Amino acid sequence: MTPPRQTRRRLALALLSLFAVFSIFVVRLVDIQLVRADELNTDSTNKRAIGVTTYAARGDIVDKDGSVLAGSVMRFDITVSPRTVIEAYRDAEAETLLDAAAGIAAITGQTTDEVMRAVMADPESDFAYIAKAVTTEQMRQIRALEIPGVIPSQHPIRIYPGGSVAGNLVGFVGTDGPQNGLEYTENDCLASTNGTSTYERGADGIRLPGSTVTTQPAVEGGTITTTIDSDLNWSVQQMIAEQGLAIGASSALAMVTEVSTGKLLTVADWPSVDPNNRDATPPEYLGSLAFSAAYEPGSIFKPMTASMLLDQGVASPTTQVTVPSRWTSPEGSVIKDAAAHAEQRLTLAGVIQQSSNVGISQLATRLPSGMRYDYMTAFGVGERTEVDFQGESKGLLASRWDDQQKYDVAYGQGVSTSLAQVSSIYQTLGNGGVRMPLTLVSSCTGPDGIVVDPAPVEGARVVSEAAADTTVQMMEGVVTGGGLARELQIPGYRVAAKSGTAEVSENGRYTSKRVVSIAGLAPAEDPKYAVVVMFVNPGTMKTSAAAAPTFKKIMTKVLTTYRVTPSTTPPPALPTTW
Amino acid sequence: MSALPIGLPLETGGAPSRFRALEIVTTRGQRRGRPRLVVAIVTVAGLFAILAAQLLLSIATSEGAYEISSLQARQSELARDQQVMAESLRVLEAPQHLSAEAQAMGMVANSSAAYLRLVDGAVLGVPAAASASAALRTADDGSSLIPNSLLSEVPLVAVPGQTGATDAPGEGPVGAPAAPGEPSTPPTVPAGIPTPTTH
Repeated sequence: MTPPRQTRRRLALALLSLFAVFSIFVVRLVDIQLVRADELNTDSTNKRAIGVTTYAARGDIVDKDGSVLAGSVMRFDITVSPRTVIEAYRDAEAETLLDAAAGIAAITGQTTDEVMRAVMADPESDFAYIAKAVTTEQMRQIRALEIPGVIPSQHPIRIYPGGSVAGNLVGFVGTDGPQNGLEYTENDCLASTNGTSTYERGADGIRLPGSTVTTQPAVEGGTITTTIDSDLNWSVQQMIAEQGLAIGASSALAMVTEVSTGKLLTVADWPSVDPNNRDATPPEYLGSLAFSAAYEPGSIFKPMTASMLLDQGVASPTTQVTVPSRWTSPEGSVIKDAAAHAEQRLTLAGVIQQSSNVGISQLATRLPSGMRYDYMTAFGVGERTEVDFQGESKGLLASRWDDQQKYDVAYGQGVSTSLAQVSSIYQTLGNGGVRMPLTLVSSCTGPDGIVVDPAPVEGARVVSEAAADTTVQMMEGVVTGGGLARELQIPGYRVAAKSGTAEVSENGRYTSKRVVSIAGLAPAEDPKYAVVVMFVNPGTMKTSAAAAPTFKKIMTKVLTTYRVTPSTTPPPALPTTW
Repeated sequence: MSALPIGLPLETGGAPSRFRALEIVTTRGQRRGRPRLVVAIVTVAGLFAILAAQLLLSIATSEGAYEISSLQARQSELARDQQVMAESLRVLEAPQHLSAEAQAMGMVANSSAAYLRLVDGAVLGVPAAASASAALRTADDGSSLIPNSLLSEVPLVAVPGQTGATDAPGEGPVGAPAAPGEPSTPPTVPAGIPTPTTH
């Protein structure tokens, strides 16, 4: 039995239309699920999903005890949607837009006009800033006003709780990122990565459970631990500032180094930069002159010269030398002492005590220039220190010396060094002749607590222990019997020190400008700390007597801060004359 | 298709009794295989139970979402509180502030290095009294020589010249029970300075 033809045709038609409809669905499905999938997904997520930035804080810079020198805190930018806020107050009777603006202005410290200008600059816009970087307290007050369209957004900023304490070292972060000091050079450790995530929210603004998707995890910055003792650094800054003002110096520097490790406990620069308010400081003082400025060090170089003579055995503390106040070398170069005097018969210890240029010149040339150059390089002269501070100077050490220079270098003229290099020389002498790498940053601790990049700790012997110890003993003679003895003695302690007054050359000629300095070690029987202090271009007092009282104050502060027991043995009495 | 009616069991003689006896007898296996009512009830009830549980669970979850949301808001506010306090503490800790406070209380730093050894009461070093000239010098406008702009809006707790026994004889500093006028002699300890017994 076969169905009638009509039925069959109807069946075919139904099938065909069914197939057509099905095809349309398939095409549509492919279009939505495959062809336009991305676009549609994005569209839909954008309607529901809210993107949020998770701020990760830039790492801290801390001193050796963890006291924060540079840290991040949260501030808020007050943003507004002018379109929304204008709309909201269009028909309001009780409160006008002007009242709302006055409310915000009272909190942010702006004028109502300023707030109104920010809002009315582009009334159709959906985004404008009213105020930037307001505190949490201000943000909460503004939020409590419940003005439609006004939204605070988080914005971390950098603060320096100690102000200019070590400000010259820490540097600062500008609007375009880190710009100076450790903030700049240690940025790889300090930098953080802000994270992003999205979540979807319902009509009432509540986050839908389980809809948070982290697209980029936030990574906090690492912590830079310096070797600085911030309290001591402040004390020393205060001391050099007081004396700098008193003697009319243009700038002053001081460094305290731990002898056994080469760690810089203090690097004091005056004028000091307040990184919170850097515009107050002239640009030439924004960095650390202790690293970046090279001066002819002057007589504080003499102990180094003496130590190499002792190390090679060509001189001893009792080596005798006849010292006129003006001496002509065999090559015809002329060496003069700072003050005119009758002919003296000095030992090497006496040459150091009296700071005789003539005496040290005669003795220094017992060693060939090439050997002296090698010794100086081993002491760190002519090379950047391991700190490698931003803009650090190598100083200037010529590899070939002429007939005048080979004498001048012995007493620190014709060569230039940074104060950091001088610190390193005294650290070496105090540490029994072993030079430790000068350290300012001891480590970078990652956000996971793992210490990366610890500073090097391997020392290198420069002169023998006996040579170094004897040099320190000769420097004690400066404190017990030199011209500045009264200013340098610290009751209860044995102190070794050397003064320096160097002439400043400008355009190839020595001028009346001076750099006065004192470098020294205490306690002399077993040196623990090296202190160097320097005043540039003092106006009223142009000799190292200007630096001596400050050296004493700094050294006393260091000894008491670190509870160094007073000395129990008397200083050696090395003969200074014959 | 033939439309042949099935013969109704007509009452024709004794035949009806034979038809009535013809019933399909289900086998035991068939009877066991037949879906049982109780199973159906359990299944449907279970289904409803699951649906209801899911509904309740999702209500609970979204309730939780509100709670999480409010707790998160609270947490972030508390974190901000903590941050604000930590920030102000760090600023108050600044050496410029501490020294200015101390100086306002009439204190100056003593620059002599001397120690008292508790074990035998020996004085190490050479003690010397601090003088007023040891006071910290400030810039002409009274601000610190080592500036810190964060301190510009932090007032000193101590009022200069108001504290210290000499400035205010009537109200001695806290912890000084000696009556005014009494000569200030150092306390004497009969059996020497007490020391802890160490092993």
